[in-house]
Amino acid sequence: MNLRRTAAIARRIGEFFRRDHRTLALMFVAPIVIMGLLGWVIRDQRPPASTIAIVNDAGPTGDVVRGRISSAATAAGFGYRDDITTDDAARQAVKDGGINVAVLLSVDGSTPRVVIVTPGLNPAEDSARIGDLRTVLSGAFAQSGPIIDQETIYNQGGSFFDAFAPALVGFVVFFLVFVLTGISFLRERVGGTLERLLATPVRRQEIVLGYSAGFAFFATLQVALVLVFVLGTIHIASLGPLPEINLGLGVASAGSPLLAFVITLLLALSAVNLAIFLSTFARTEFQIIQFIPLVVVPQVLLSGIFWPVASLPGILAPIARLMPMTWGIEGLREVLTKGAGLEATTVQLDILVLAGMAIVLAVAATLTIRREVV
Amino acid sequence: MSAPADVPTEPAILASKLTKRFGEITAVDALDLELVAGRIYGLLGPNGSGKTTLIRLLTGLAKPTSGEARVLGTVMPDREILGRMGYMTQAEGVYAELSVWENVRFFGALSGRSDRESLESALRVVDLSDRRNTPVLELSGGMRRRLSLACALVHKPDVIFLDEPTVGIDPQLRVQFWEYFRGLAADGATLLVSSHVMDEADRCDELLLMLHGKLLTRGSPAEIRQRVGVQDIEQAFLKLDPLPTPAPAFK
Repeated sequence: MNLRRTAAIARRIGEFFRRDHRTLALMFVAPIVIMGLLGWVIRDQRPPASTIAIVNDAGPTGDVVRGRISSAATAAGFGYRDDITTDDAARQAVKDGGINVAVLLSVDGSTPRVVIVTPGLNPAEDSARIGDLRTVLSGAFAQSGPIIDQETIYNQGGSFFDAFAPALVGFVVFFLVFVLTGISFLRERVGGTLERLLATPVRRQEIVLGYSAGFAFFATLQVALVLVFVLGTIHIASLGPLPEINLGLGVASAGSPLLAFVITLLLALSAVNLAIFLSTFARTEFQIIQFIPLVVVPQVLLSGIFWPVASLPGILAPIARLMPMTWGIEGLREVLTKGAGLEATTVQLDILVLAGMAIVLAVAATLTIRREVV
Repeated sequence: MSAPADVPTEPAILASKLTKRFGEITAVDALDLELVAGRIYGLLGPNGSGKTTLIRLLTGLAKPTSGEARVLGTVMPDREILGRMGYMTQAEGVYAELSVWENVRFFGALSGRSDRESLESALRVVDLSDRRNTPVLELSGGMRRRLSLACALVHKPDVIFLDEPTVGIDPQLRVQFWEYFRGLAADGATLLVSSHVMDEADRCDELLLMLHGKLLTRGSPAEIRQRVGVQDIEQAFLKLDPLPTPAPAFK
């Protein structure tokens, strides 16, 4: 152990930071941006205006309770629909989005029973509403607390993970494709091959399209594999000393895997072109990695993985709508969790916006490639 | 050495008042140049004299601040004419993960020539035929330069810019390279070779001595020696430098 040599290495790192102001700035700016964003979102996010319906199957006592719940809920900021009177109508209304929560009252022996029905699309959104509702309920029942059951329309019997899986598929694919393309294109710029490419008759659009096609091929394989792994499961029987295992996550999918594939692929194409575009602003691989906290982390926080986009405070909701991942994840949830098909307007919109973003980013990427470098 | 008689006399490369400024610095300063086909021109000058910027202007990779550059009669930058030009950059400019063959095929395809015969003949010239399946990562520095040259010449261009082509190439292969260059010129190609290796200067038909973005003088190596009254081209720079500053060092 030689202290002088160790000190020389430490000093080298110090000199690196002194020279690379961007890295230095990032070390201080990135945590503030990320923590600030998290603080803002978590403190100020409010579930989008919640509307409830209360169905009473518990006789006259239930009517009294329903009266209490409805006034307490209205006081707590819930919208209240009194025109829904049967369990089925209430479930249908949750499914259609007419109401966000249905409260079904019944009597189990002598114990009052409450079933809270939520959509089950976004676990975080549901639990925020149920949390608010529990406060309302505990005030409405005077003495003995009711049995409270929860029920979801979609993703029934699925775990927390199942509800998150569509969002995770979108995130994983976007992230990996972004980083790989970014580094790959940066190497063209710094390694002299881009200059050499531009000294041939190749057009800028041909470079960007070629890149998109090349990466899209591997992104296709990646997306296919990810979807098969997430949605499928194979049981592998115990083999000798090896324990039996289930390969694949076996997340229940309500919709067409093919449609999910199209959405994920469009998301991957956006990632390719965004990475080419941003590679102009980086001079080393190191600086491409630095785009992760600036480009990927905000998308993770704002794209609806954890908190619904509509619940984001202030200008964050419109900002989230500018992010490809927001549309990709929305589309994947619609298809995989809700089982929506191509006829659903949300899915159509998601696909159109993603395709539009991929094109806009491709144009932006093309514009950053200049034949006359200086 | 002189140009073959059947070569057209119109200039392959023509620069008039060609100027490139980077802020305060004038890298190429109102340069006039006329180079004819079928000859090898040596572009000599110390570091920072403007050689690479001149080549970049002629290949359309840089836009002139003023003046004009024409290659094969076309004002640069022009995309289409690039198919008839070859450019070997100072940087390696080849893909490290790809094999020798894949690199040559790629650059050949971009320039419109990727038939087997063209690729094979390009590799033969640089003596890499038996390495065609080797990834560039496993090649020595000199081999990578050779591959880089093959990539610049695979489409049999009419105008060839070679920026320090023989750096890191061993003497035997260097001789072989020059024989090949001579053959290309005999077939009517125009070669502009930047170099700082002075014994290579003698292999050129004509030398262009560049300093501070200007052309100091041009002529055959013998002419320059005689005119300036020096034995050594390097000394010609010292003698011709119009500025009172000490002449910049060669690299």
